[in-house]
Amino acid sequence: MTKLSEGTIEALSNGTGVSDAVLQLVNIRKLDGGNGPSRFRVMMSDGRHTLSSFMLSTQLNHMAEENILAPNCICNLKRHVTNILKDGRRVVIILEIDVIKPAKDVAGRIGDPTPYTEGQSKGPQSAPVPENRPPLQPQNRNEAVNRGLNRDFGKKAPSVMPNTPGGSSKVVPIASLNPYQSKWTIRARVTNKSSIRTWSNSRGDGKLFSMEIVDESGEIRVTGFNQEVDKFYSLIEAGKVYYISKGSLKLANKQYTSVKNDYEMTLNGESTIIPCEDSCDVPMVQCDFVSIGDLENRDKDAIVDVIGVCKSVDDISRLTTKSNREVSKRTLSLMDMSGKVVTVTLWGEEAEKFDGSSQPVVAIKGAKLSDFGGRSLSASFSSTLMINPDIPEAYKLRGWYDKEGHAMDGQSLTEVKGGSGGGNTNWKSLSDVKTEHLGHGDKADYYTCVATIVFLRKENCLYQACPSQDCNKKVVDQQNGMFRCEKCDKEFPNFKYRLILSANIADYGDNQWVTCFQESAEAILGQNAAYLGQLKDSNEAAFDEVFQHANFNTFVFRNRVKLETYNDESRIKATVMDVKPVDHKEYSKRLILNIRKLAANH
Amino acid sequence: MASLLDTSKPRINCSMLSQHIGRGVCFVGRVEKVHPTGKTFSVSDGEGKSATVELNEPLEEELSGIVEVIGMVSSKGVITTTTYNILREDKGIPFDLELYNEALKVIHDFPQYYPFEVAASG
Repeated sequence: MTKLSEGTIEALSNGTGVSDAVLQLVNIRKLDGGNGPSRFRVMMSDGRHTLSSFMLSTQLNHMAEENILAPNCICNLKRHVTNILKDGRRVVIILEIDVIKPAKDVAGRIGDPTPYTEGQSKGPQSAPVPENRPPLQPQNRNEAVNRGLNRDFGKKAPSVMPNTPGGSSKVVPIASLNPYQSKWTIRARVTNKSSIRTWSNSRGDGKLFSMEIVDESGEIRVTGFNQEVDKFYSLIEAGKVYYISKGSLKLANKQYTSVKNDYEMTLNGESTIIPCEDSCDVPMVQCDFVSIGDLENRDKDAIVDVIGVCKSVDDISRLTTKSNREVSKRTLSLMDMSGKVVTVTLWGEEAEKFDGSSQPVVAIKGAKLSDFGGRSLSASFSSTLMINPDIPEAYKLRGWYDKEGHAMDGQSLTEVKGGSGGGNTNWKSLSDVKTEHLGHGDKADYYTCVATIVFLRKENCLYQACPSQDCNKKVVDQQNGMFRCEKCDKEFPNFKYRLILSANIADYGDNQWVTCFQESAEAILGQNAAYLGQLKDSNEAAFDEVFQHANFNTFVFRNRVKLETYNDESRIKATVMDVKPVDHKEYSKRLILNIRKLAANH
Repeated sequence: MASLLDTSKPRINCSMLSQHIGRGVCFVGRVEKVHPTGKTFSVSDGEGKSATVELNEPLEEELSGIVEVIGMVSSKGVITTTTYNILREDKGIPFDLELYNEALKVIHDFPQYYPFEVAASG
């Protein structure tokens, strides 16, 4: 006689996992679903106990319908998942089961099993308000589900859904997830899994990982911390489909992701993640691509999805971050059918692994848009980089590029270094700045202009600053040979001179008072601050000479303007960010171009 | 001819020579061929067209690269030089003859914005 795996029922009821348990099917009962396939409730015996809270997963319904699973047959329970109801009772969902001895070959019940009683519950569950209900919203939905379940183990909840093996909770679409329901299961594909990141701050340390998942209805971002990292990280593979249940939902922090969902999910102690074999109808990825030409219209720091052909890629370079970490970096230029090109920066492993030969189609989900050089993109740790993805947009791009795109130069949105007239420099004349009210908005405005210095204020252009490396705070002269820095909270026997130069610059139309700090001031004066400080103290005539000499020189200024308010008075403050000599060739070209444009428009 | 230096000398290229016959001009171009006598040489402008320049005295130095010639246009379209400048290639920013030609066209297309005549006779 086939030996049953005694103790299995007890183990299952206590939540201990079992594998390959040999059980006898005692009874099988069909429950009518409302809308959807029927469910089969099964009673199994391990020779010692019986348990009636088994449910057959719908993908196995045929085994019941074809009478393969019939009373008395001996089975090997290969895969299952256990769900706990609100009242503590367990339901075992049979995911995979083999009949090792058909019912007709089995005489009768093996052994003398008795129904296993768990702690709670054969009593009807009617209390509508179980203790630990989260303070938030009335969980009407769950109640209905639970009440239904407790009576009948499988009556469908009024709402919906493509049901599947996922347990007593039906599979719901990602789009329906919200913070007010906790008992759900979704079936989704992992499109992007981040690496484990650790942090350490004053409040302690921990680790986390995040991923993005997608199903037919939408997508959502999922994060797991600490224990959940240990539990799930190695189980999850990008590209595979899983049943996920009971994560916590909260409002999404859209700053960090381009995932389209108002909510994001955090895995907790109750969450479960189970691999799903039947995954063909779960989509591979959800992207909402922005045309490269449109990037100019998006705000900086926006998170976008893009796809294009990699026209060229630069060599990898390495830099050291502020925290003294070495990181690899690589830039590539991406072009799409808008004819525009944008520079994309890759980091770390992605940068190292990237192979741009043969101009692949590159898609990035969740790239960060920056206004560096006009407009440029960066693949952050939460972006997904796809090379030659298997999606229709990629094929379209490939076709277009092979036919026409490869011959185009494309117009780059990213200003190439060294070209002051490249891409998107915001050239303005000084009268433009005033008529266009630059700087009057919430944020500062930046512009570039060609202007001539007409006045330099040499009084108070130098101040005594803290000699420490990164500190430029003005020091207080203690009159005893020592100088005190309040910021560093230290006294020094010396200081370093730094420049704050007030100047007036002008062009054909208007003039502008600007402030130049150290670097730009030194560039304009042609001397460094330390030397000037010395001159001021020792040779006033030579000091004046420097200023005379610097006057009436013309430069390309990159300025920042912002409206500042001091005690009820608002004034535009302009600061010089950068000073460069005029590139006459570029300037001439630009002027000729503008003249011709003006002429054409008449 | 001192008087020539007092008048306005519009900058021209080869295609404008015929409109300036008998007048003082300023021509910038690249030296092509120097005649063995050293009294005449050819220059090409930013559009690639050529003109002939005549000197009163033979050349005393090597002439190459870009030159600026101030003189008068004869009835035969030859420039008789009053004075010339060599724009040295080894100093400063290299001269872009094509860009210069573009600027020239702008000056001639919009004379109302470039009233050199008025300035000179003042």
